[in-house]
Parts: sequence; C-alpha cells; structure tokens
Amino acid sequence: VTVATSSILNIEELLTRVDDDRELLVELFLIFKSVFPGNFQRLSDAVRLEEAKNIQIEGHTLKGMLLNLAAHRAAAAAGELEQRGRDSQFSGLKEALAELQSEVDILLSAMDERTSEFTP
Amino acid sequence: LKILIADDDPLSRRLLEKTLQRSGYEVTAVENGTAAAEQLCKKDGPRLALLDWEMPELDGPSVCRAVRKEKDQGYVYMILLTSKGLKTDVVAGLSAGADDYLTKPFDTEELKARLRTGQRILHLEGRLVEAREDMRFKATHDALTSLFNRGVIMDLLGREVSRSRREHVPMAILLCDLDHFKSVNDTHGHLVGDEVLREIAKRLLLSVRSYDYVGRFGGEEFLVILNNCPAASAAGRAEEIRMAICTTLVETGIGPLPISISIGVHHTDNWGSRSVEELLHEADSGLYAAKAAGRNCVKFANPNSSLRSELVQHVETAETLS
Repeated sequence: VTVATSSILNIEELLTRVDDDRELLVELFLIFKSVFPGNFQRLSDAVRLEEAKNIQIEGHTLKGMLLNLAAHRAAAAAGELEQRGRDSQFSGLKEALAELQSEVDILLSAMDERTSEFTP
Repeated sequence: LKILIADDDPLSRRLLEKTLQRSGYEVTAVENGTAAAEQLCKKDGPRLALLDWEMPELDGPSVCRAVRKEKDQGYVYMILLTSKGLKTDVVAGLSAGADDYLTKPFDTEELKARLRTGQRILHLEGRLVEAREDMRFKATHDALTSLFNRGVIMDLLGREVSRSRREHVPMAILLCDLDHFKSVNDTHGHLVGDEVLREIAKRLLLSVRSYDYVGRFGGEEFLVILNNCPAASAAGRAEEIRMAICTTLVETGIGPLPISISIGVHHTDNWGSRSVEELLHEADSGLYAAKAAGRNCVKFANPNSSLRSELVQHVETAETLS
C-alpha cells in the first residue's frame, strides 16, 4: 500500500475499525454510495446560494462520513468546505467543491476495486 | 445490556451498531435527537447511550439536558460523539449532562473501554438503589413476618379511611389476634412462636386481594384492611381468613401445632368524623367480643358500644376460670 493510495482509502485502518469484517466494510461502501449524492447536492446548493451555515453543516457531515471510511484526502476536502462555511469565506468555494467531487470520484473507484476484491 | 445509538449519519450508525452488537449489546439505533430523548426517557429504555453531537431536531447536548430533567428513572450514562476537539466544546457537552465524550472517528478499543466505564457506573448505581430499597423495606416492614409494620399499617389505614369517606365506598377493618399464643411461647419457646407468626403472616397475605393491606399490629395482633368491601361480603371474607388459619396445622420445628385466630370486624361506608384511633378502638370491641365468645370466631364491632370494659372483664374472668 503506497502512501498515496492509503490516503485515498486507508484499507488497513478501515479493516481495524470494522474488526476485519469485510462484509460490513462492503456494506459501508454501499451506504456511502447511496447517501453521498444527496449530501453532495445539498452542499452544492448551499455553495451556490452562499449559505454559510448549511455549507458548514453539510461539509461537517461529509467529513465525518469520510473519516469513518478512512478516506483522508476526501475528508480533508470536505473539512475545507466546513471551515469556509464556518468562516463565511465564500471566495474559492466552487473550486473547493470541485476538489471534493474529484477526491470522491477517486475514492469511489478505490471502493469498487476493494468491493470486487472482498466480494466472493 | 441495552444501548442507544443516535446519529444522523447512516454510515456511522451502522458501523457503531455492528461494533456494539459484536460486543454483546442490545442496540437501538435512531437518527435524530428527538427520537433519542424519547427512547432514553422510557421507563425500560436503554441506560447507556452514544449520542452524536450534531443531529437534526435536538443535538447531543440537548438530548443530555432532556434526559437529566427526568427524575423518575434510573441513571442514563451518555457519551457524546464529536469531531469537535476544542476544550470549550467538551466543557459545554459535559455541562449539559454528558458523562464522557469520544472523538470521531472512534477507535474501537477506546469505545469499548469507555463503555465498560459506563457499565461500571451503572452497576454501582444499581447496587446503591438496591441498598436504598433494602433500607426502605426494613423501615416499613416488620422484620419477623415481612408484613407492614405498625407505623405503616396505621398510615395506610388513615389513608384508606379518608378515601372511603371521600368516595363513599365501604371498607372493613379487621383486628386479628392469635388465640392462646402466649402458651405457644411458654410451652415451646420463642423460636417456635416466631415460626408460627411467620406462617400466619403468609396465610393472611394469601387470604386477601392484592389491593388489601395486612400489617403486624403488635406481638400476635394483625391488622387487615379490606378495601372496597361491601357489607355482605365482609363477614364472609373475615371467616375465610379465620378458616385459613385454623383448618391446617402450622408446621414448626417441634411438629405441627393447632393455631386459631379471633377477629373483630369493623365495617361501614360512613365513618363519620371519628379518628383512626377511635375506629381501631371500635374494631377492638369486636375482637374482645370474639374472645368472649370462646375465641376462633369472627365478631362485628358495635361502634356505639360502651361495653368494652365489660367485655374485657368477661374475657379475663373466662380465662381465670379456664
């Protein structure tokens, strides 16, 4: 596992968290895939409308979810949006949102790889 | 042990749920603070809770405050889950009534260890409640028979007479006294006497309904309160109690003994303004009448009777002659 891939999805950290339960790990990936579009849509709406409080809340929610998945790069991108919401710092918001989308796209690919690896 | 997880993040909720189920907990998972407070305030709700700090409707600290307001329930040990690392946040959470906090994403072993701490606190609280209940029982019950003691049965009598007056429902006061109990003690010793008293207490309790009251009034005297008992059935109920005592020999360490009881009944649905002491005095006249009639029988009190002293004299004369 390289440093780069472990920061996208630290599978060792995640396996420890789920007590090596690979079935649960795949279930968590599925949950993330099903809820992420809704969360991201709400975050995008808040960015578009420059609603600082909602940017903070949605950024925080996504950060928590991504940290649970040991997806540190995507979590950092979500954390950046949360912080900008907290500080009502609207410049560069769209770029930060695009960064998050890009990190999650990479994460989803990594999840797919692991899912086929762990699914019999 | 039941545990509640409250987290609006479905991923975190599922992860916690599975982790805790694996550790043997019976998990209830909810997705907002209102549902969490509702579950935790239930009488038989979970006593251990993991609450996400930020949730829709009520946040974690607000759930803690709502639960701590409830006075009539056992202690609930609450851990806040937070990604907030600031000391001011931690202080705010603990001040709201949380017992502990855990930073997200949680470390499984740390989570389990902190929950074990919660269990220890709950166990300690359980022991304290048990000790308090034990002391309460000892303060209100007779040590030998486990019936209500004199103070409590008198309080209950006062309360039930007031209720009978207020609601105009009939009730009966039964003053019961074991016959020749002194001779049981004198002949067989006090340990046997104690065995007899314990057995009689059991039979009295088995002879009444769940909403009637039985108390030890004195040495071998018992007070029975029959609530909502119409006149037509008071005599029958008293007779059943008498029969429950005398028809079966009482087993003791020195063998079976024949025991009987005399009962004075005072029954009415109109107690007037007489005090509890006066009513008992009147019930006592029924008891004396039963003793005078040869014991092992039921006699009704005559509230207007001034013959108690004559009855006492009569009983004493009969005892002297026998």
